[in-house]
Formats: sequence, C-alpha cells, structure tokens
Amino acid sequence: MLKINNLHVNVDGREILKGLDLTLPAGEVHAIMGPNGSGKSTLAYVLAGKGGYEVTAGSVTWKDQDLLAMGPSARAVAGVFLAFQYPMEIPGVATMTFLRTAVNAVRKARGQAELSTPDFLRLVREKAKGLKIDPAMLKRPLNMGFSGGEKKRNEILQMALLEPSLCVLDETDSGLDIDAVRIVAEGVNALRSKERSMLVITHYQRLLDYIVPDRVHVLSDGRVARSGGPELALELEQSGYAEFGGEAA
Amino acid sequence: MELPVKQFQTRAEQAFLDAFTAAEPTLPGAGNKWVAALRRQAIDTYALLGLPHRRVEAWKYTDLRSQLTDAYPFARARSAGLSEAEFANALTDRAAALAAYRLVLVEGELRSDLSDIAGLQAAGAEIHSLGDALQKPAPWLKEVLGQARASSDAIVALNTALMTGGVVLRLAKGQTLDRPVHLIHLDGEGEPAGIVTRNVVVVEAGASLMLWESYAGDRVLQRNAVTEIVIGDKGAIDHIKLQREAAGSLHLGTWLVRLGADARYGAFQLSTGAALSRNQINAAFEGEGSSLNVSGALLMRDRQHCDTTLLIEHKVPRCTSRELFKAVLDNEARGVFQGKIIVSPGAQKTDGKQMAQALLLSESAEFDSKPELEIFADDVVCGHGSTSGQIDEDLLFYLEARGIPEVEARALLIQAFVGEAIELVEHEGMRDALGAASAAWLGVAYD
Repeated sequence: MLKINNLHVNVDGREILKGLDLTLPAGEVHAIMGPNGSGKSTLAYVLAGKGGYEVTAGSVTWKDQDLLAMGPSARAVAGVFLAFQYPMEIPGVATMTFLRTAVNAVRKARGQAELSTPDFLRLVREKAKGLKIDPAMLKRPLNMGFSGGEKKRNEILQMALLEPSLCVLDETDSGLDIDAVRIVAEGVNALRSKERSMLVITHYQRLLDYIVPDRVHVLSDGRVARSGGPELALELEQSGYAEFGGEAA
Repeated sequence: MELPVKQFQTRAEQAFLDAFTAAEPTLPGAGNKWVAALRRQAIDTYALLGLPHRRVEAWKYTDLRSQLTDAYPFARARSAGLSEAEFANALTDRAAALAAYRLVLVEGELRSDLSDIAGLQAAGAEIHSLGDALQKPAPWLKEVLGQARASSDAIVALNTALMTGGVVLRLAKGQTLDRPVHLIHLDGEGEPAGIVTRNVVVVEAGASLMLWESYAGDRVLQRNAVTEIVIGDKGAIDHIKLQREAAGSLHLGTWLVRLGADARYGAFQLSTGAALSRNQINAAFEGEGSSLNVSGALLMRDRQHCDTTLLIEHKVPRCTSRELFKAVLDNEARGVFQGKIIVSPGAQKTDGKQMAQALLLSESAEFDSKPELEIFADDVVCGHGSTSGQIDEDLLFYLEARGIPEVEARALLIQAFVGEAIELVEHEGMRDALGAASAAWLGVAYD
C-alpha cells in the first residue's frame, strides 16, 4: 500500500505540494486529475526520486518502506516505476542494451538470477509483440527518432519488463492519437493485477475510458481537493476544472 | 656539426642534440648518403626550432619545452627485451587478439620472430623494418620519407633525425589484404627510455589497407612515433590507434597523410594512457574527389594531458573531410583539440566539417578547443563546432529510475558519449575492442 501523508514539496524555493494526503491500496488503480500547475507531475517525480524536489514535510511509504529515504534506483528495485511524460532520448545507448542493463540491475538487486541473453531476447520479443513494437525499433538508440506513440509504448514495455508493484503513469496519453492511446491502455490493463497498484496521472478523462480507475482524485493547488469513484472523471469532463482553480478541461 | 643557432633552454632540448651527435654514426642508414643528409637536415631544423612551447601557435596549450625537462636515454633494442610470457600476455588483450597480420615492435624494433612477416609477404605486401629499408632506400621510399610539409614541425624533425625503429610497408596497385595489419608496440619492463619510430606506409592506386597501431605497457617511455602515409588514386586506408601508455609516459604521435584522387582515409584514435600525449594528424588532399573521416576519443583523469591537433589541407577541389573528437575528462585532466582546415585557392566544392565535444566529470578538468578555418576559395561548405558540458542529470535520473545504480548509469552515459565516435569505426571486432578499452578505463564490465 502507498501512503502519502501531509506531503509538502518545494521546487526552486516555491511550494508546489502543500500537504497532500493519499492512500493507494495494493491492486487498485487510482487516477490523479487536476488543472495544469496543480502539482500532478511534481507528485510523480517525487515518488520516483528526482533531484531538485525538496520535501519540507510529510512522508511517503510504500509497503511500509520510507520511499523518501531511498535513491531513484533503490526505489525502482523496491517496485516503483514512473512512466515518463517525456521519455529521455539517449544517443549512443541502444534500446536493447538499456533494457537488458535495467532488467538485470533490478533482478540482481532483488536477489533474482540475471537473465541470459537468449532468455532476455525471448522475453523482450514477447512483451514487445503485445505492444505492437517493431523489433527494429529496439536496435535504435534509446528513444532516438521514436514517434510520440513509440516512446510511450517503449515506456510500457519497460514497465512490463521490470515487473514493478507501484506504477506511476505521468500523462501517458499526452500527445497520442486515439489509436495510440488504445494500444498503450491495453498494455497497461494487461499489467493490472491484485499485487500491482497504479497511479494514473492525466489531465483528460479520455484515458480513463480505457484504463478504468477504482478511484479518482482531483488535485488542486498542491492538495487532493476531491476524491470519488470513476464517475468523478466523467463529471469533470462536463464541468471542467473551473471549481478547482483551473481553466475548462 | 655546426653549432646550433638557437640557445637551448632546457636539459632535454640539449640532450636530444647531444644524443644525435653521439649516435649519428650508428643510426640505421648511416652509410647511405641520402639518409645521412635527411637526418642532418632534420637535426638542423630541430636545432633552429628547439622543443615546441606555448608561444608557438600550434603548441599553445601544450608547452612541451617546460613539460619535458629531462630526456631519457634512447632505447636500442636488445633481443632479450621481451619474454615469451610477456608476449603471450599481451596477446590476451582484446585488440591484440583480433585476427590480423601482427607486427610486433619491441623498443621500436620490428621483431621478425614475433611477427607474421612471412604471412604478410605471402599476401602480397612489401614489408621491411625501417632499419633494413634505410640501408638502401628504394626510390619510392625517397619520395615519401621526410617529404611531407610537416617535416618542419620540431617533433617530426626530431623523429627524422633520430628514427631507429618502425616499419616500411607497401601495397602494390590494386592489392587488398584479407586481414588488417596490426603494429603492436611492446616494450617490456626496463628503465625509462626514449623510443623513436617511423613507419612509412604506401598503398598504390586502387589498393586498400586496414592499419592498426597499439601502444600499451607498464614501462615509462618518451615516445616519438611518426607514420607517413601515401594513398594512391582510388586507394583506401582505415587507420586505428590505441594509446594506453604507462602513467608517467610521454607520447608524441604524428600521422602524415597524403591522398590521391578518389581516395579514402578513415582514422580513429583512442587515448587513455600517458601523462602527456600529443596526437597530430596532418592530412593533405592532393587529388580530387577524395574523402577523409578522422575521429577519436580521449579519456583522461588525474593530471593527464592529451592534445589532439589536426591539420587538413584541401589543396584540390571536391574533397570531403569530417572530424569528430570526444573528450572525457576527470579530476584535473586537461584535453586539447585543435582543428585547422585550410582550403587552397581553387579548391572549390570543398566540404569540411569538424566537431569536438567534451564531457567534464570534475570541476577542475579543463578542455581547450581551437578550431581554425583558413578558406581561400569561395564555393565551399566548411563548419566547426565545439561543446563542453557535464553529465545530463535528467538522463541520469531516467536511467536510475529504471533501477540502474548511479555509478553504472554514469558509466553508461559516458560510454554512450564516447560510443558516438567509436561507432564510426567500421571493423566490428575493433569497435568492440575500443568499447572494451573505454569500459576498462571506466572500471565497468563490457560484454
């Protein structure tokens, strides 16, 4: 279970999260919605451990471990996975090399045997197929020359390979056309399980037609302003974020 | 000999002159008038110039005169210089183990017992030790040896005056070898010494060659190695250097290249060793429609200093030159890149581009980049760029967020940075060996 308690976070000296509380039980999918600037992406980065985010108060625990005390790679080993809104392009690192390095680093740290090259290739091929990823894409440098949709599918591929228990999806639908959203959502849904919790951050309700959440939280000015069932997302689709201090959705 | 015109300022400067005076009668080719005159002319040039210092523009960032205070005695190859075990051990290196015609040079001297000279000859190449070639220089050798314009460079002049080892290699018209030629320098474990080698490599029209030079070992040396290359029309050479000299060594490496028409020259240099190293490449396009692609990487730490200085002369129209150099600098290391492109009047349709990039791993590391374009033709495309920066924290976070520990993630990014240059090497096995050498520098596994 993820427990976020009274989380205050500063970025460049400005307070972005102002006492955020959230509980995400094992196996549930929660959506985080909210207007621009409400702190959605900040929450995602703080959970993954990015530098430059200063936690001034509050706590975050995952399966009773203090996440804030861990570095980013240790969090990944502990099961945290952030699907980036803007996946990084890294020239000179072949996608396949990156995937294998990551998978084996995590396996090793979790006390599992590293995968042999043939076993790894088999695993990647199988997972890539489900996401309609062309194997030729994996030979290219990481995310270089990938379309927006390819980058996001590559994120979900990494998620499938690293077998996280807490998935944080940061605006995974942004910049995608409806077909790409559907492929990504199917990939995410395939990973839903009783042991895996997901936090789906999105500005638009659209993604939630495909990834139906157990609960929806609306972020406003660095706090959870309202929580409800999936119907809350539909309501926001109608009314917009005006009542939460944002422009219409 | 006549007194030097110049007042020498350091012991080393004087020592080189004294060494020449003492060794002249016994230097290879001493009995040959042409060779003796070439050496005399060269030592006169050196006597005029002295060791290069920072007020010489081409040596602005590498003050050799103040760095090189003492000259080591010159090594004269001894037959017992290298044990079988040392040799066998050297061949376990990934690059040395690659299939090639191996030419092993011990203290600069070509060792026929350790080299595949017979194989190389059977494949059709003409091969001699420098010493043998200087006894009675062939007419074609006289047209190449010491004839490049850069002979006025003090380091090259010193090399010409004092050269004792190296190889002379020629491929006749249309010849191609089935394997690269690998010049492996091994120097055993002796006292610190000076080693001066000169290679002359000629590929005639339509011939092509892969030529590798590797310098590694634990012996502290002052090395002055020059390779002169002439590529005939439609000929090609792919030339690689791996420099992993002992800490404390001085490595002065110069490649002088002349290209005929529709010829191709590809080069790559990886430098991780030596306290002070200077890699000079002077290439001249003498025939139209040729191309050159020179790249390299240097990885330096502590107080190492590595200087790469290129001079590309576009003397004729329609030639293309590309240069890409990468520097990774840690601690107080210093990297220097100087790239000069000269486009002669009339060398229209010249296409020349160069790029130097540095990754600084410490606040005290320094990278100096000096591009120079001298263009005397109007219909040309020339460009240069230089960047210097630190590891991108966003990229680092992305890798760490995937469970890759920070140290490994940094190494991966550094390898990627260097890899952009290594990727330009066509030979797969050598590409791997270069990747492995950079991984070894980083202290990470390579597979």
